[in-house]
Amino acid sequence: MFVRARVLTALVAAASLVLTACGGGDDKDSGSGTKTELKLYNDKGAWGPYFEDVGKLSQEQIGIGMKPVGYTDEPTYSAFIKASFRTNNKPDLFTWSTGGRLEEIVESGQVAETTDLWKEAVAAGDLSKELESTYTYDGKQYCVPLNISYWVMFYNKKVFDDNGVKPPTTWAELMASADTLKGKGIKPFYHTSVLFSFVWFQQLLIGTDPELYNKLATGEAKYTDPGVVAVMERWKQMIDGGYFSDPGSKEDPAVQLKTGKTAMGIFGTWFNTSMTQQGMKPGQDYGMFVIPTVTPGSGKNTVAFESGPLCSLAKAPDTASSTKYMKWWVQQPAQEKWANSRGDVSANPKVTIPDPSLAAIAKAAGDGEYSLANRYFEAAPAPVLTAALDAFGAFMVDPGSYMKQLENIQKAADEYWKGR
Amino acid sequence: MSVATATPTRSPAAPAAGGRAGQSDPGAPWGALGFGSPGALGVLLLLYAPFLYTVVLSFTEYDGLTSPQWVGIDNFTRFFEDPAMGTSVRNTLMWVVGTTLVPVALGLLVALLSFGIRGGTLLRLPFMLPYALSGAGLGVIWGFILQSGGAANDILGALGLPGADTSFLLEQPWNTISMIVAWTWQQTGVNTLFFLVGLQSIPKEPLEAARLDGATGWKLFRHVIWPLLAPLTTVVVGLALVASLKTFDIVWVMTQGGPGRNSETLAVTMYRDAFVAGEYGYGSAVAMVLTLTTGAVTLAYLRRQVKVREDLS
Repeated sequence: MFVRARVLTALVAAASLVLTACGGGDDKDSGSGTKTELKLYNDKGAWGPYFEDVGKLSQEQIGIGMKPVGYTDEPTYSAFIKASFRTNNKPDLFTWSTGGRLEEIVESGQVAETTDLWKEAVAAGDLSKELESTYTYDGKQYCVPLNISYWVMFYNKKVFDDNGVKPPTTWAELMASADTLKGKGIKPFYHTSVLFSFVWFQQLLIGTDPELYNKLATGEAKYTDPGVVAVMERWKQMIDGGYFSDPGSKEDPAVQLKTGKTAMGIFGTWFNTSMTQQGMKPGQDYGMFVIPTVTPGSGKNTVAFESGPLCSLAKAPDTASSTKYMKWWVQQPAQEKWANSRGDVSANPKVTIPDPSLAAIAKAAGDGEYSLANRYFEAAPAPVLTAALDAFGAFMVDPGSYMKQLENIQKAADEYWKGR
Repeated sequence: MSVATATPTRSPAAPAAGGRAGQSDPGAPWGALGFGSPGALGVLLLLYAPFLYTVVLSFTEYDGLTSPQWVGIDNFTRFFEDPAMGTSVRNTLMWVVGTTLVPVALGLLVALLSFGIRGGTLLRLPFMLPYALSGAGLGVIWGFILQSGGAANDILGALGLPGADTSFLLEQPWNTISMIVAWTWQQTGVNTLFFLVGLQSIPKEPLEAARLDGATGWKLFRHVIWPLLAPLTTVVVGLALVASLKTFDIVWVMTQGGPGRNSETLAVTMYRDAFVAGEYGYGSAVAMVLTLTTGAVTLAYLRRQVKVREDLS
């Protein structure tokens, strides 16, 4: 009897351990609206304090607090979110990216629909109708804008002033300024072979042929088409001409701009946060301008535009609280806090932007002065983007290989569009 | 021989500690199984299950969202046809050769030169300290030294040596070679430590006999010390071999396998395909190839060493 009891005790202990390990989250009453603190998972670890500020405000205004859970490594973050779809450990809210990646998770049926929320927000003037298409799949909306940014040229004001250079209005002026700076031993433009390796490809293509850029995104044009080849040749000429900073430098781009080693860099307007974190003052130490078109007389300037989504899951722990939070998120009080603390523009047109140059860009974009192009990172389908980032990185080391690199990207594009 | 008499036997008068003397316990195996099962289940769940799951995934196409689709050996065929794999395998081989030979040889040299001399500990210290760093820390520090326009370029330029304009982390094969140098900087210390233990465990008699026979310097090392160190060398080289085949952290931190995948190792390729590209099936297939290669190489090496030892004895 004693032995049997011992065996039984051990087996029960083992089984309870296994059950505890496998049990995971308890199946809470989904959609009850009782949660008073939500966790917002994000891949923007450096924005932690800004998220926390908004969390405090939401606690005051709608009685729901928010704690950010920040990741800094995108692949780890992405794997976690995808894994959460199959487990009970689901985020209340999470950030993602628009374009092909959002489409992928929407198609899997995991993302909560926000069509009603958009209808109300557009009617109230909190979100613009133009932005809606970025969040629309099969006529329904998913997620809300976490942030929006325009991709512009940031520059060091002191470097410009000391060398008699002014923000350009034409491509010729931009290159003339770059020549002046180059002559003084300053690298005109920032360049990197990691992650943002696509930026100059994007800029040169939207500045030359925005239609071709859009067609590439939809698979209607090929990366080996003459227009794209011409862009790569121009980019190669600029690299060969010494216009770029070293793409292999690990120095923070904001530091490069601050020290004046590099005079200019193309970034989303969110780069304001990086510059101010370096102790630089907008309008005083640095400025920004919309990059002129490469081909003169090709109409309006095209500005690359990005919008990152804030999403919740169809099976979120408390769908009512998550939806309530997203409704509040797009409204003016939340957006004033969120956009202005980071020094960026807001998806809500009612938000007043204190920085005059940023406000001017946002107003011009809102008034239709520019054509907007979806940022390459979101515009390109995920497998094509992965191949392109590799290819652009390899191209920077060996600019003569541009044709081979374009062929590599096209191979990935052919593979992707084959079954569609 | 007195082996039989020397075998310890339990005296019938001395009961086993905590047991009931002279009684067999028919439930003992079940009891052991019961108490051992939590641990066994842990091993099963945390080690065997993920491994088997990876094996299954390697035969599927899986994006992490929809259900895995069975594709047979397509992932493996793709692996052998993928041009990026050629680069990855070549880089892994460079790592295997570089990190098996250089840090081991340097470790042995430092151990030999500093062993048994006054102040040896102090002389060894600089070689040992880097081992305290994590792989990621090592990558960050050497990343700053070797980045384009970094400290390495500055020093070479100041000394008027070639390489001042070399982009060490961008150009192939310099990026892989540079990372092997960084790895050597860290790993030499631990190999020194291993060889010191080996040197301390060598009995004095054969050394004194060899010295009386007139063996010194290289001859003493070649014919006496080296053969006596052989068991330890087998372990050190074996560990270095396995470590080199699974090189990941330093490459991921320093170059992320780039630019353009030109510094990827098999472990980096596995991570990139699975987690960056989101192709979990293909990434699992790369993991399988890496596991099988590491297993086969290690087994072949150890078998050969055992055979050499048997031939010698």
